Amino acid sequence: MKTYCIKLTINGTPYEVEVEPQLTLNQLLRERLELTGTKISCAEGECGACTVLVDGKPMNSCCMLAVTANGRDILTIEGLAKDGELDRIQKAFIEKGAIQCGYCSPGMMLSVKALLDENPNPTREEIKKAIGGNLCRCTGYVKIVEAAQAAAKA
Amino acid sequence: MFRTLKPFEYLEPTTLEEATAVLSSYGNRAKAHAAGVDLVPRMRKRLIAPECIVNLQQVKELDAVIAEKGNGIRIGALASLRDIETSDLIKAKYFVLHEALDAIVSVQVKAQGTAVGNLCVATPASDVSPVLYALDATLAVVGPSGTREIPIDAFYKGPGKTVLDPAEIVTEILLPAPLPGSGGAFRKLFRTAEDIAKINVAAYLTIEKGVCKKARIALGAVAPTVVRIRTAEAVLEGQKIDQVLIEKASQIASGEVKPITDLRSTADYRKDTARVLTRRVLEKSLERATA
Repeated sequence: MKTYCIKLTINGTPYEVEVEPQLTLNQLLRERLELTGTKISCAEGECGACTVLVDGKPMNSCCMLAVTANGRDILTIEGLAKDGELDRIQKAFIEKGAIQCGYCSPGMMLSVKALLDENPNPTREEIKKAIGGNLCRCTGYVKIVEAAQAAAKA
Repeated sequence: MFRTLKPFEYLEPTTLEEATAVLSSYGNRAKAHAAGVDLVPRMRKRLIAPECIVNLQQVKELDAVIAEKGNGIRIGALASLRDIETSDLIKAKYFVLHEALDAIVSVQVKAQGTAVGNLCVATPASDVSPVLYALDATLAVVGPSGTREIPIDAFYKGPGKTVLDPAEIVTEILLPAPLPGSGGAFRKLFRTAEDIAKINVAAYLTIEKGVCKKARIALGAVAPTVVRIRTAEAVLEGQKIDQVLIEKASQIASGEVKPITDLRSTADYRKDTARVLTRRVLEKSLERATA
């Protein structure tokens, strides 16, 4: 099987990897690079557990072929903390109790990051829209929205 | 549950000529790839098993540009749903298109998926299509034998089927110039926010001196393809639109759609909500056209 050499940036680090065309971006991250913070759940683009930022935009890594990520800039949950210190979004999620099982959390936090990068002072409605593609089955979404509001103010 | 995709050959043409040539040589054994939002999950579920994926993202003639062209607007084949939704030009000239895209919940799907990809998948429940019918959109297409333009209401043959030859590629969506005194609206019903529409409706009205010069009504998810309700449009055109006429047009729409019963709704429910939603989008379109 022919493989392709792709070059991409993940969490600020340049990577050069050989991929088969059928490898998804999610598999590349989780199985090849062992960046297992990015989850997979529905595997069809409904739940958002596999969300990563691609050139700053939230996308479902389960629905993207890794080979098409050539030249792109990827941010995963592992790239949020800097120098051992959690990002303000991660801190807010913990402080507000917006995490239970934690499975939706990486994707949820990256959707919030994409929102805050674009809109530093979002309304509750804007936050709810921004996480519309991320399902949480533990809680309601109240604490998650509160965490996003707290992160915006931090 | 399948987690992995079956192996396939992968091609990344850099020109339209090359892309149409490879699509032509593979015919139905290849699938064109815009972003993968629809393609990858369907391959994973073994609903399709293409031998070859032809990624169009590196084709130099294709772009994501949304800009004025002639008197109208063109949307490049690689423009994401999110690009279109957030475009100031679209909001200003064709708010109804913004409204339809705003109603798609997942930001991820919108940031990755393209409008042209959505059209080519040809799902009867597309949230993009009905608005394009209402706006009289045209698709610019390139194939091995040259270029052609296809009006959106001549584009679909059935669920998952378009009039495109396997080697043809949609290069842009063309929207005609909005006429003064025009307004549209889009509404849909869904089971859950993530799910596809049970039914969706778009309308677009042009009102001149109180009289309806042009009416467009299109419904999705109630027939094998999106449908325009021409008889209901004819009821409104040339008339001063009032509540009685709106109700009459809505009844006609309800009578003409041919929905199915599936896990999302019964056919009867869809027929009745076709009437209610048509009434609501006509009321809103009139309000916006005369604002």
